[in-house]
Amino acid sequence: MREYCTGIWQARYFWTHLALSDLRSRWRRSYLGVFWSLLQPLGLALLLALVFSRLLHADIGIYAPYILSGIIVWDFLVSNVTGGSLSFVQADAYIKQCRHPLAIYTLRSVLGSLIALMLASLPLYAWSALILPQHIGWNWLAILSLFPLLAAIAWPLATVLAYIATRFRDLPHALGLAVQALWFISPVYFEEKLFRQGGLDLLVDYNPIYHILQIVRAPLLQGSWPTTSNYAFALGTAVLLTLLAWLVGRKAERKVIFYL
Amino acid sequence: MKHSHVCLHGANLHYSATAFKERSLKSLLAHPFRRTRTGTRIGDIHALKNISVDIRGGERVGLLGHNGAGKSTFLRTVAGLYPLSSGSLRVAGQIRSLFDLSLGFEPDATGRENILYRGLLMGLTPAFMREREAEIVAFADLGEFIDYPLKTYSAGMQVRLAFAISTLVGGEVLLLDEVIGAGDASFMAKAQRRLEHLVDSAEILILASHDLQALARLCERGLVLHRGELVFDGPIEQAIATYLEINGNG
Repeated sequence: MREYCTGIWQARYFWTHLALSDLRSRWRRSYLGVFWSLLQPLGLALLLALVFSRLLHADIGIYAPYILSGIIVWDFLVSNVTGGSLSFVQADAYIKQCRHPLAIYTLRSVLGSLIALMLASLPLYAWSALILPQHIGWNWLAILSLFPLLAAIAWPLATVLAYIATRFRDLPHALGLAVQALWFISPVYFEEKLFRQGGLDLLVDYNPIYHILQIVRAPLLQGSWPTTSNYAFALGTAVLLTLLAWLVGRKAERKVIFYL
Repeated sequence: MKHSHVCLHGANLHYSATAFKERSLKSLLAHPFRRTRTGTRIGDIHALKNISVDIRGGERVGLLGHNGAGKSTFLRTVAGLYPLSSGSLRVAGQIRSLFDLSLGFEPDATGRENILYRGLLMGLTPAFMREREAEIVAFADLGEFIDYPLKTYSAGMQVRLAFAISTLVGGEVLLLDEVIGAGDASFMAKAQRRLEHLVDSAEILILASHDLQALARLCERGLVLHRGELVFDGPIEQAIATYLEINGNG
């Protein structure tokens, strides 16, 4: 295990390069380039907020950052679940030639989407600061804890899925469906009070996605610190997934090369 | 000093058929009505059969065998890429494998940037690559094209750059798979010298090739593989003779 971790550390220049190269190729030869990462979620959030605030009689000024925070975190998770599950398949040429720990290839996709998430967060911060300046305070610091927590969740999650998806290529297709179902039962775009009104408290209180989202939403939109249970759920998910990744990886790590 | 060591003992390697057989609902439904055209059953591949080899520091080993005999599998096993189904592999010394020289190239990046990228792939640090960049540029000898995107390069130019980078650093255990033979005549001579220098500085060389002259020149010991079995292990001249005999040319 320690050997595995040193392997990841020794290859650090390689996986950072891979992540950056993914981003470079995404933005290459487009005029707005990196700004698309900011504009895309912002545009979608504005559009949705415009419709939903009318439908649900909510204040668009507050609802728009709510949706934006949902979109960017959700995008991050989806890209790591669907994209992450294909990490090994995509990196087959590298895997067949270099003996690096396989987890660096999922780390590559996590790191790439984490950078995209950080960029997409900038308009969210700006919007919140403009509309809700009364919430600016020390609790804004809590927002920063989102990034390491998300990485700690997405990395083992993508790794588990990648191990399985290399062997069973149906998984990425099935994940597309699962992700949509998950979106539907999580307070990503819809406010939590809608779920509570419908008597679906369970879907909020025991949903790690809700708790993760609260880590940015509580400081930005409610002007409070995230609660301990928010952190407990996020950390618990990360620990569980890490354990699972270790269990699956122990058996699967060496066999992946045969299925590429 | 010569502490490098490669030791395979009773090594077997199987490729499981589940990894490449088509398993889909479509083929399952079609199965009762269709037979494979030739009637062959697709089963597990026994790629290396009970191979025991002991290679010590200072040895230059050539691998012979026709296509599919297990040369590349042997090299990749020694590199630690494939898990053995039984037997043991012990390697002492840092392994440097040159299988696919242009892996890790980005077509949209310039030649100079690609020098860095390929170096990172090989596990080198950015600082080290910047230090050696001038040397690589000089060796590849691409003129002003070094600052052009890689996709503007001809195939030969790409090979020159790939070769210049990949052979920059040697290792204690050097594994080469058919890398000889690239570029025009003048570059070939230069490449040949460089490769020989690389081979000289390595403690162990294992070279898989069909170029019998190169094998005879670079290696002293030859291993002949035939259908995954090690059929000969001894001096290179005899190994070449055995290889030719097995393949019916001798």
